[in-house]
Amino acid sequence: MTNLSHGIHLASASVKLGDRHVLDRLTLALTEKRIGILGRNGSGKTTLLRLIAGLIGPDSGTVRLDGFDPFTDRRAALAAVGILFQNPDHQILFPTVEEELAFGLAQQGLPQSQALGRAVEALKAEGRAHWAKAPVTSLSQGQRHYLCLLSVLLMKPRTILLDEPLAGLDLPTQDHLARSFAALPQRLVTISHDPATLAAADRVLWLEGGRIAADGPPLQVIPAFIAEMSRIGARDADADLAG
Amino acid sequence: MLTLISPVEIWAHRVPAGLKLGLLAAATMGLFALKSPLLLALAATATGALYLSGGTGFAVAGLRLVRPLWPFVLIVGLWHLWTADPGGGASILLRMLTAVALANFVTMTTRLSDMITVFQMLARPLGALGLSPRRLAIAMALVIRFIPVMLDRLVQISQAWRARSRRRAGWRVLVPATLAALDDADRAAEALRARGGAG
Repeated sequence: MTNLSHGIHLASASVKLGDRHVLDRLTLALTEKRIGILGRNGSGKTTLLRLIAGLIGPDSGTVRLDGFDPFTDRRAALAAVGILFQNPDHQILFPTVEEELAFGLAQQGLPQSQALGRAVEALKAEGRAHWAKAPVTSLSQGQRHYLCLLSVLLMKPRTILLDEPLAGLDLPTQDHLARSFAALPQRLVTISHDPATLAAADRVLWLEGGRIAADGPPLQVIPAFIAEMSRIGARDADADLAG
Repeated sequence: MLTLISPVEIWAHRVPAGLKLGLLAAATMGLFALKSPLLLALAATATGALYLSGGTGFAVAGLRLVRPLWPFVLIVGLWHLWTADPGGGASILLRMLTAVALANFVTMTTRLSDMITVFQMLARPLGALGLSPRRLAIAMALVIRFIPVMLDRLVQISQAWRARSRRRAGWRVLVPATLAALDDADRAAEALRARGGAG
């Protein structure tokens, strides 16, 4: 038996959308520092991430994050896990940068004035002190991604979940963000449809139709994934409807 | 309200939000107590001076924010010219413009989160009715954050329409825009949950 107080543990966890199993009885123990999840559109990647973050609960089975249930124990979840959404506009809740950064800290129990102080300090440390009062609408797409990462980091979670973190960004921004991710001491779970993003992971899971199609080191999983994707692509990529 | 953010930081940003809102309430009541156009003109001049104390850039931005009032100025002005009461018309116009300018001044120089803190304090008695002040405060912030997002979405949908139609989109974009707003609401709820919920 693996140590449940450490890492992400799923036991026969399923998530249904209507009659369809988006995730089908997944059993996983994720304890590595850099974990990648590969899969096509609609394979259940994002649902798996939301399940781990405790944004949704399983319809059956259990999810344990560092030993607790992230769906029911929100207080523990806030300290344990942060999630970076694919679209920063779905994540940013406040009109100015400093308020966005301070929100999570205030939610963790810090008084608003201290939370704002910490937010401004963090911006200074990143060489972005001038961002503090800026309206979030004035930031570029890449800058918004960065703001989301900063606000997650401020809450000091032990695990960070990244949903297609580099998709749709220009190359310098991708490079800068990738470096920021690589330098993080936290456990990272990254989902992507792009194998290159996950080449440096310790372990890669390939998700297909809500089940694990392959699980292992990137050198083993990625070539198999690429071969299968080009096989499907040569046939007809996306004629099937979900469901 | 996002557009009510000042382009520069001035002295008034450092004045506590509660004090500014209190003074605003008092000044607005004072404006309604003043009857003479001359005194009201004096109040308007003082407000102008208040804006200029923040520099010309700030004053110009402030001026731009009262510009949307021009239809009211026109209607009230014409009405009082027609009823041959220019003094009364001048009073009403000066009072309205000064009150709006003062309110804008406070909004421009107050961080939303500070405004919310004051609001939360004032709303504390509502807690007895089961209405959490913190929830109300977060709701306010969300409205201000998402109005520009929804307006953007409306523009996008209209453009998507125009790209494939010769006719104007008009009211027909309202249905997809409403659905998009509901979708945004779902995602905002999720983002809120990811960082500790509204409680």
